[in-house]
Amino acid sequence: MLQFKLVLLGDSSVGKSSIVHRFVKDSFDEFRESTIGAAFLSQTLKLEKHEDVTIKFEIWDTAGQERYKSLAPMYYRNANAALVVYDVTQPGSLVKAQSWVDELKHKVGDQDLVICLVGNKLDLCEDNDTVRQVDMGDAQIYAQEQKLLFHEVSAKTGAGVAQIFQEIGEKVYERKATESAASTAHQSRKPLNVELQRPSTNDSTSCCV
Amino acid sequence: MDNSVGTVRANGKHSKTDGRMVYLSTKSPSVPNLNEAYHGRFGRRISPERPQSQLSPLSIAEDPTNASLIDLYGDDDDDDDENENENESQSAEVVQNSHKSPEIESTPAFSRSVSTGIQGSSEYLSRDHATKDLSQYDRYGFKKQNAHITQEQYHEWWEEYSRYCIRRKRKWQDLLAKSGLAISNNDVPDRFPPRSEKLKRYVRKGIPAEWRGQAWWQFARGQEKLNKNKGVYDKLLAGINARSDKVSGRDLEVIERDLHRTFPENIHFQKQPNNNEEPLMIQSLRRVLLAFSDYNPKIGYCQSMNFLAGLLLLFLDEERTFWMLVIITSRYLPGVHNINLEGVNIDQGVLMLCVKEYLPDFWQRIVTKDQSRNNEFLYRLPPVTLCTAGWFMSCFVGVVPIETTLRIWDCLFYEESHVLFKTSLFILKICDQEVTAARRMARNKNLSKDDSDIEMFQAIQTVPKKLVDPQIIFERVIFKRRNSLNDLSQDEIDRCRRYVSAQRLKFKNYADIMGDRSTANENTKRDISMGSDFVENALSSEVYGFRRSLTAAHWNNSIKERVRQIRRK
Repeated sequence: MLQFKLVLLGDSSVGKSSIVHRFVKDSFDEFRESTIGAAFLSQTLKLEKHEDVTIKFEIWDTAGQERYKSLAPMYYRNANAALVVYDVTQPGSLVKAQSWVDELKHKVGDQDLVICLVGNKLDLCEDNDTVRQVDMGDAQIYAQEQKLLFHEVSAKTGAGVAQIFQEIGEKVYERKATESAASTAHQSRKPLNVELQRPSTNDSTSCCV
Repeated sequence: MDNSVGTVRANGKHSKTDGRMVYLSTKSPSVPNLNEAYHGRFGRRISPERPQSQLSPLSIAEDPTNASLIDLYGDDDDDDDENENENESQSAEVVQNSHKSPEIESTPAFSRSVSTGIQGSSEYLSRDHATKDLSQYDRYGFKKQNAHITQEQYHEWWEEYSRYCIRRKRKWQDLLAKSGLAISNNDVPDRFPPRSEKLKRYVRKGIPAEWRGQAWWQFARGQEKLNKNKGVYDKLLAGINARSDKVSGRDLEVIERDLHRTFPENIHFQKQPNNNEEPLMIQSLRRVLLAFSDYNPKIGYCQSMNFLAGLLLLFLDEERTFWMLVIITSRYLPGVHNINLEGVNIDQGVLMLCVKEYLPDFWQRIVTKDQSRNNEFLYRLPPVTLCTAGWFMSCFVGVVPIETTLRIWDCLFYEESHVLFKTSLFILKICDQEVTAARRMARNKNLSKDDSDIEMFQAIQTVPKKLVDPQIIFERVIFKRRNSLNDLSQDEIDRCRRYVSAQRLKFKNYADIMGDRSTANENTKRDISMGSDFVENALSSEVYGFRRSLTAAHWNNSIKERVRQIRRK
């Protein structure tokens, strides 16, 4: 089984934990306690496009408050993928998301990391589109420019959540497969040498100041 | 229903209730007037886990959450298995220095304009909570059952533990009587005896739930703080009201978002579907957090303080909660909530040193040999600290079940922060045991590093949540006589904090010297190794000086290991 490390980043209260819980437990709580420090969860996923490929996601869900940013390098060190989440009803949260994308690109390098921009709380705009404060087109253009995966989802209804992880899984898998086609790709347990392929995070930045 | 069931201690007052306020008995665990129960009013035996149907507001006194508490102290079962040495000299424990345990004013200097509106709340709570099945909630208003603890497990524990609480409360009452401290009519002592070994033991065995607020307040020397700052809280609130638009804009926003994410499962923090009013507890929480962010701009608001303040509010009034928050964030957990979170990192460094010293097997599991070689891990903290950092920030709120949290808090306020380190070490130890056992069962010893990391992180997330019985921690860690952890005193922790803090500063300075060069990706590899050498030199030059003070205090692994080897031979 392949193991991918995935980290969730984004402003507080955009729904990071809710997205993870939708994916891992297929459940939703209207009021979820704020995450302190970090929460760890894991979930396996079968890739639709590649039969026989199962991925185990090692997910780090982080606290969203600005000051926790200093701990973030510990989370995204060695990560294969990052979900950068914003709230479609909070324009400020997209700005935050963009600063996360910048940080990831600067510190990790996007050739090593699959980044997915996720607009959450889609359900709030379904009945009343005036609630929406972030235009889908704008976010999409930004994501294209930055070469990010992009989805709008609702952790509440579950819409789009599974697709994010499916797509990330495929993308990371394909990347790994092309990179290390010659390596021990089809041995059990260690089809890919994930450890070696993990991006080396700049260690001097992983200190918390 | 008997009017005297409830007293209003949530407000720091001990006033008799009128008919409308009766329901406050469910508002807060500190609220029930157990005095009435103790003197036989509710003396009839009600099994704590008696199944309850939907309760009408008028039968709230019979709500098992209450009934169990009431029954708890009406129990005649006087089991003396606690082995307290009751013949211990009592004289030393009689209050000698009245300044040490100041008389606590029955009515705190608490602005009427910002009254928590307890009167209103009683009606409010009674109306709304009548629609809930109160038997689902424990005496603090938390759900008994959750993802980690079944109803059965809860009851199995509570049946035993509730008896324990009765015995303990009786012991406390004896202690207070012997110390010449009266318990006032409403069953809450105005003050507790001065510090002593015996009192420490009592605290470690748990402070009676409805006395907690008062006891914490005294042990943390809250009144001292308040006396020096009379009127400050009111002024802060007035200031916030006066310029509500300007109040630390960023904090305001984050606080607002967290208010409804603080104990959403607790009955006192819940909004009802057919009532749009904001729960009073949430209003108090907002005021405390806003006032604090104004009071201490170095900290402002840090996520996790919502849980600290939230739990305090269940036991203390707003103003006292505010000062306790000030005390926790400065005395017990210095710097932990600061904007740069450096205090957290220091404490995690201290914890890692402790793990290395006390849990060497677990240590092997969480760091590579390279990291263990020098003190680099103090700066580049191991991933396990991503989980444990939260334990310190919230003082275990939400990490372990509520009763266990409260028992830890009892000790925290009496013995200071080394309790948090000891508890953390114990939890890590049982996580390690669990992972090892699971692996033995699975006979799978060829796990990859990733697999075993996942296993361990999962254990660290879930194992503590199952510690419904506080006795597990307290019997195996805090009380155990021959426990290596007993060496871990507060002095030791404080010294260790200073050491780690200085080491981290050194590291930071050297990292800064390395500067931008190391941020260029193509050079990363070379620079990391350069950085490591650099840093190693820097550290080893410093280690010696610190090691001396640490050695004296049991930090020297090699000597201990040698002694162990000799013993084995």
